Amino acid sequence: MQALMSFESAPPYAAPLRFFLTAPLFAVLAGLLIAFEGADIFVSRWMPAALAVTHLLTLGFMLQMMFGALIQILPVVAGANLPRPLLVATIVHAGLSIGALLLAAGLYFGEPTLLSGAAGLLALTVIVFLAAVLRALIGVPSTSPTIRGLKLAMFALAVVVSLGVLMAQALANGWALPLPVLTDLHAGWGLGGWAGVLLAAIAYVVVPMFQLTPGYPARPSWWYPVAMLVLLLLWSGAVIAGSPGIIRFSQALAALAGLAFAGLTLRLQHKRRRARADVTYRYWQLGLVGSVFALFMLLTAAIWPAAGELQGWTVVFGILLIPGGFLAFIIGMLYKIVPFLTWLHLQNLGQSKVPAPNMNKILPTINMERQMKAYTVAVVLLLAAALQPEWLSRPAGLAFAIACGWLWLNLLGAMRRYAEHKADIEAKLAVILAAR
Amino acid sequence: MTHPKTPHVLDARYMESPEPFVKTMEMLDLLKEGEKMLLLLFREPHPLYRALKQNGHAYETELLPDGTFEILISR
Repeated sequence: MQALMSFESAPPYAAPLRFFLTAPLFAVLAGLLIAFEGADIFVSRWMPAALAVTHLLTLGFMLQMMFGALIQILPVVAGANLPRPLLVATIVHAGLSIGALLLAAGLYFGEPTLLSGAAGLLALTVIVFLAAVLRALIGVPSTSPTIRGLKLAMFALAVVVSLGVLMAQALANGWALPLPVLTDLHAGWGLGGWAGVLLAAIAYVVVPMFQLTPGYPARPSWWYPVAMLVLLLLWSGAVIAGSPGIIRFSQALAALAGLAFAGLTLRLQHKRRRARADVTYRYWQLGLVGSVFALFMLLTAAIWPAAGELQGWTVVFGILLIPGGFLAFIIGMLYKIVPFLTWLHLQNLGQSKVPAPNMNKILPTINMERQMKAYTVAVVLLLAAALQPEWLSRPAGLAFAIACGWLWLNLLGAMRRYAEHKADIEAKLAVILAAR
Repeated sequence: MTHPKTPHVLDARYMESPEPFVKTMEMLDLLKEGEKMLLLLFREPHPLYRALKQNGHAYETELLPDGTFEILISR
């Protein structure tokens, strides 16, 4: 852990924490919107509310957490120092939070001005983030699969946002674009290229470190990010050339690549040397199971397109991959990062004269475990609601909002205990120094 | 544990942090002038690299097929 967040290169506590504390609120909002809309939201992924919920989760939660975590860990996983981390964090956090809200509102109300404004703001925000990260990463040689993966993920981020901005402008201005095909491609670059490659690059470091598993074998680790990007480029070329067969071919191979990564991670977890299954391990198991089912669905629909037309197919796929997959991975990592980060800052504050409190006192295990159970129930309810929307959509939405609100309370608790201990340590330190 | 590259090997692959960092520094202290040590990890330790550079230690890293990073550090 120390290796993950060495103090000398760590940005201030406030830089990542603002992202971590904002993201769960977007997920709460998504849950409340599902509860408010009821059964209609599960009819199709093209429902305005479904598009809004998707972006509250992907931009409001996922991208928010990813940016916050990257600002924190780039120096330690890649040896890349972000210039002025607090300034970058302030700009990116504000732009992303407002942009995600505007976009969700624009999609929900079908309001052109909101869509246009959101697209512009999000584009600017991502440009600022990418400029800062590229400045840090430029000149850093790709000595590990993690560094190569991070660089390729940044390229995918640029593509997914460009496609998103193009589609938002097309919706706002009524441009004639093949939106369904572009939406799939946008989702492919976002979930496979950006989130998927970023997750793998980070997993290479944190799975062995957090869960005491063997390492990821070198050869597939080098090639997974490259293979995913090549397949996405092929998919993009097929969209431009208008060849559905090649689109499906690249989707099937991308699904297989994702399945191989998930299968390998499950195998490594099986060989772990930590006997106790902690909350991070369990959240990752949930994420892996969710992703494996989702990727099998993607593979099935690529081979047999009629499956993708079945009622509820894409909605179930989305629930399995986003709340069931990516959100679970992210929360699992967060539950290691936040207590450690808090402890590390307190430890440093004490200057080796006043000890920091035990990590379990900062974020008690029991709170994390209970929240995880609530979250798992919420994901199961969401899946059931996709099949039985009339009965279950409102309870599922509420359950999801409660589980994510609970996550927020857990993180807020850690931050409040940080403030209390900080005051305590400063007071004790003043006494010690005055006595000299 | 010995290794063709050096008899001084620290296998930190299943250690919990901050053990690998602390034990590397301890082992470096025990080495004589001109001796080298080998650190085994499942990741590249960038914070350790910085500490090594600050203290004037040269190092070379090799990634093995099983995902182990072998970091050969000079006293």
